[in-house]
Parts: sequence; structure tokens; C-alpha cells
Amino acid sequence: MFKYTVKRLLQSLLTVLIVVSIVFVLMRCLPTDYFFTDEQQIKFSDEQKHDILQAAGLLDPIPTQLFRFYRGLLHMDFGESRRIRTGVGVWEIVADKFTVSMRMGVTAMAISLAVGVVLGVLQARQKDRLMDHIGTVYTVFINSVPTLVSYSLVLVFGARVLGLPSLYSNRNPGQSSILPIACLALTSIAHYALWTRRYMVDESTKDYIKLARIKGMSNQSIMVKHVLKNAFVPLAQYIPASLLLTLAGSLLVERFFSVPGMGTLMTEAIQRYDTNVVQGCVFLYAGLGVVGVFLGDVLMMILDPRIKLAGGGETR
Amino acid sequence: MAKEPILSARDIEIQFTLRGKVLKAIRKCSLDLYEGETLAIVGESGSGKSVFTKSFLGMLDANGSIVGGSIMYNGTDISKYKTEKEWMTIRGKKISMVMQDPMTSLNPLKKIGKQIQESIELNQGIKGEQAKKLAIEMLAKVGIPDPERRANQYPHEFSGGMRQRVVIAIAVACRPQILVCDEPTTALDVTIQAQILDLIRSLQRELNMTVIYITHDLGVVANVADRVAVMYAGQIVEYGMVDEIFYNPWHPYTWALLSSLPQLGVKGEDLPTIDGTPPNLFYEVKGDAFAPRNQQALAIDFEEEPPFFEVTATHKAKTWYLDPRAPKIEQPKSIKKLREQMQK
Repeated sequence: MFKYTVKRLLQSLLTVLIVVSIVFVLMRCLPTDYFFTDEQQIKFSDEQKHDILQAAGLLDPIPTQLFRFYRGLLHMDFGESRRIRTGVGVWEIVADKFTVSMRMGVTAMAISLAVGVVLGVLQARQKDRLMDHIGTVYTVFINSVPTLVSYSLVLVFGARVLGLPSLYSNRNPGQSSILPIACLALTSIAHYALWTRRYMVDESTKDYIKLARIKGMSNQSIMVKHVLKNAFVPLAQYIPASLLLTLAGSLLVERFFSVPGMGTLMTEAIQRYDTNVVQGCVFLYAGLGVVGVFLGDVLMMILDPRIKLAGGGETR
Repeated sequence: MAKEPILSARDIEIQFTLRGKVLKAIRKCSLDLYEGETLAIVGESGSGKSVFTKSFLGMLDANGSIVGGSIMYNGTDISKYKTEKEWMTIRGKKISMVMQDPMTSLNPLKKIGKQIQESIELNQGIKGEQAKKLAIEMLAKVGIPDPERRANQYPHEFSGGMRQRVVIAIAVACRPQILVCDEPTTALDVTIQAQILDLIRSLQRELNMTVIYITHDLGVVANVADRVAVMYAGQIVEYGMVDEIFYNPWHPYTWALLSSLPQLGVKGEDLPTIDGTPPNLFYEVKGDAFAPRNQQALAIDFEEEPPFFEVTATHKAKTWYLDPRAPKIEQPKSIKKLREQMQK
């Protein structure tokens, strides 16, 4: 178990390293023209441009640049932002945006997990009755209608009917977060409800549920003690990953409500050729994703005694 | 058999609704169960053996229901039970069941001891540590070595035979009066089968249970049963003491069933089989349900359903062959052969 955990961690590190390296190389393959603003393009002579690029180390051979990047990585140093907020450390920028995204992500996640699982349980218990149909219509709607359309509906309803602010503002983060959080939660509620229902219906047709009934257990306690717990196991695997990824913010929601979060930062950094910021974001995304999957596996292992991820030798 | 039956099913009719159509799975089936006996119900797949006995515990699938007849148990007609609450006074406490597949009958995420404990806590009003102790005792009783350690393990750490022992432990943990064993050994290795049958038999003696075996393995029947009921197309067609069914059967379906025993086969010849298929129970069955597959069927078999005729006080068969007006019909050779073989 310990050996496995260490091995998995090392593999995860390697994965992150490969991801950031590929992105680094790709960024360096872009034409260097983007390094300058239009204004600078005209103002600087070719020689000046060459000197500036030279000073930034962008004209060195790619392996040298990569090596330099790795050295920074060892100290978790991604350098400074060049364009978004010139001269400010990448971490500082990221941390700023990260808190905004995280606050929304965690709230939305907590809401959707609670509401989604409860909705799924209700649907499973009332299978083929009214509650189930309502839930199914909801999940089908969310999954089939383009997200932008359902976000617009939320926006129209929230802004026109409830009079909530339709754009995020730093001065009023509480109220102006409501609609973005609602949009985030809306999709994941559908997701959790769908899978909770599915796994619960699956479990409740299994033979061991019949045996539990033969034992004389009431349906209520079978649902709680047998079905819900077992149905939660396959769901639990994805929770850490989706939690961590909501921290990273949603591109679409943040754009839609102009939330100054991670999602907008990433796109902006790419558009404006702020390589260091892009590197920082990519590192964070990859890290969160890999750690999320890893934690999911560990969680599964804790919840399901049959799963021994040690691989070979230990069981049977 | 002057004793009063402990459970008495009369003219039970069970229907299933499948895609808007009604399937009559059990057509007026009656059965008496006496205290302490072992009754085997035999018949081919789909004959309704499981459905019939499941109705004693209210374990029919959601689309099935008892539409006629009565099941008298302890002075109450339990076939009229509607709610789970009513059934919970019977299930586990009075009538319990062992299912066919031990591999899927246990919750994979719960410790073995806990699963037995659950049953004890539910039905005996004992909680916590004491229930745990009883669960471990129960494990020892069904022949699991090192029960204290085993109680803390999960189902996947048990072999199939061991799991079936655990399932039996759960089923008998609350000392039921009646234990239904629905093909308890079908999913198991042949070498394990005998052990499980022995276990059920010794528990039966110790706890003074009445056991119903559902099986299509006539070998098991000959081994364990006191009485045998033969089912065909949702009806019991013949019942009697085990010797009577094996030595002197009268229903043509029982003949066909016994004739297909591999033990009776002659080397080099094909084993006898029963031609045709059972009737489609979506439609009304006219006359004797087995008549279309019976080469010696009488004309009346296609017209009118036969009543039960008495062979002995304990042995009855539902066939026109036993009517005094019927032409004399000999039991087939293979049945005589079987009698000779068994008497040897």
C-alpha cells in the first residue's frame, strides 16, 4: 500500500512534468513577433527587438531554455509576468485569481454535491414516478441544451426577475457571485443526480439486496445501510478530481460573467503571449488534475475493500 | 400424516404483468408443509418453483402479485399481506431463504460478521457486542474455521462454498421455522455440494426447521428429501413421499423427468429427452398442460384439466391415467428399471 502510493505519486509527478514540458516547447515554437505589442513592433528597430529577445533568453536553443525552465521549476519559480501585470511574479497573479475561482468553485461544488446526491436518491427511491421524471427532464435538459443557452436562461431569470447583478464585480463579490455559482452548480447537480440515481438503481437490483430483504430489513434501512453506501463508491472516485478542477475555475462561466478568475487569466495569458503566466497556469491545472485522480483512487481504495491497487502478489 | 400442516397454500394464482401482457406463472397451486419435514420441489426451468415459494415470503418481483388463493400460516392468510411492514413480521423471523448464487448474495462492502449481526439485531432484539458474539457463534456453527478472524473479513476473501455457508448463517441466524433453499448448490462445485447439503441437514435437525428445497437435481432430491412435489407449467402435478415418486410415479411428466436421469442411460445410446417446450403461459392452458409433449396423451388430456387422483394417502397425481375409466396404461420401462436399480 505504501509502496504503491509512493509509486503512484512519482508517476503523477512525471505526468505533470511531461505536460508542462510539452506546453513549454509548443509556446517556444510560436513566432516571437507576439512578444511585442503592435506599438512596440513599429517603434523598435529589428536590432532592438533582437536585443530584447536575447535578454529575455528567447533566442537560446530550446534545450537550453527548457533546462532553465526546469531549474526554475525546482524552486517553483515561474518568473514574472511580462504583459498582464508587467513585473509581478506569476504566483502572485495566479494566487489572486485563484482565490476568486476557488471561492466560487467550492461553494458550487458543495451545493451541487448535496443537492445532486439528494435528488439522485429521491429519483432512485421514486423510480418511474413523478419525482424521477422531474429529475430526468432536468438532467436531460442540462445535458442536451448547449451550456451557453442554459447559462443565458439563468442570466435572464436572475437578472430580470430577481434583480441580481449580471456581471461580477470586486466591490460586491457576495451578490455578484450568485449567478455564476448557480450556473456552475446547475450542470454538476445534473451530473451527480444522474450518476447517483443510476448507481442506486443498479445496486438495488442486486442479489444481496434481496438477501437483506429476506433478513427482514426495512426498505428504508436497506437504502441507507446497503444501497446508498455502495452506490457512492463509484461516484466517490470522481469527487476529488472534480473538486480540484472546479478550483481552477470554469472558462465558460468566468467569461460569461466576467469573473476575474483562473479561466479568464489563462485565455488572456495565451492571447497576449505571456508565456510565464501560461506556464504557471498549465502547471497548476495539470497538477490539480493528476492529484485529483490520485486522491480519487486512494478514496476508492479506502471505501472498497476489494480494491487493492498494489497490483499483483498481494491478493489471491 | 395426521399432523396439522404448519403452512398451507391453497389454489395460489400468481400473475406477472410484462409489457402490458399478463403471464399466469402459477395456476392454482396447492401445497401443505408439515413441521420438521424436508420437501423438495422439482421441475424444469420456468415451471414456477421459485415464484411459488417466494410468494411465502412476499419476495415476488414488483410486477408480480398473488391474485387468488390463500396461504395459511399460524392462523393468518399471509397471501393477503400488502405492505412491507406486514411481511417483515414473517421474513427472516419465521420464514427465511437461501438463494442460488452465493457469489452475489452478500454485500461486497460489508464485513461478514456485520452482515450476520444485522440479521440478529433485526430479529432477536439483541444489539452491539452481544449480537457480534452471536454472529461469530453462528459462523462457527456453519463450519467456518477461525470465525473470529473471518468475521472481520469481506466477502471477496471467501470462496463460493464458504460464502454459501455465510448466506445460510444469515438465513438461519434468527431461527426461522421454515427455510426455503432455492437451488442452494447449483452454483457450487460438485465436491462442495454435498458439504452444503450436510450443513443444511444438520442445522435443520438442530434448529428443528422445516426445509423446502427447490432444485432440478434429482440426485439432491433422492439424498435429502422426505417428500417431493413435481411442478410443471405453474402447477404441482404430482406429490408424494420420496420413495413413492421415485418407485411408483404416475404423472407422465414425472415419468419423462425420471427417464432423463443420466444414470439410466445405456452406453452408446442417446439419453432420453423431453420433446417440445413448456406451454406459453401468456395464453390460457386447456386440459393437461403436459399433453402436447406426451406421446401417450389421452383424448381427454386436451379437453379437460385432470383433478388429483389418490395413489396412496400421501401420494397424489394430477393425471387422467389414474381415472378408473381410463384405458390401462403401463409405466414406462425406464421407470421399472429405475426401481430395480434403486432397490439394488
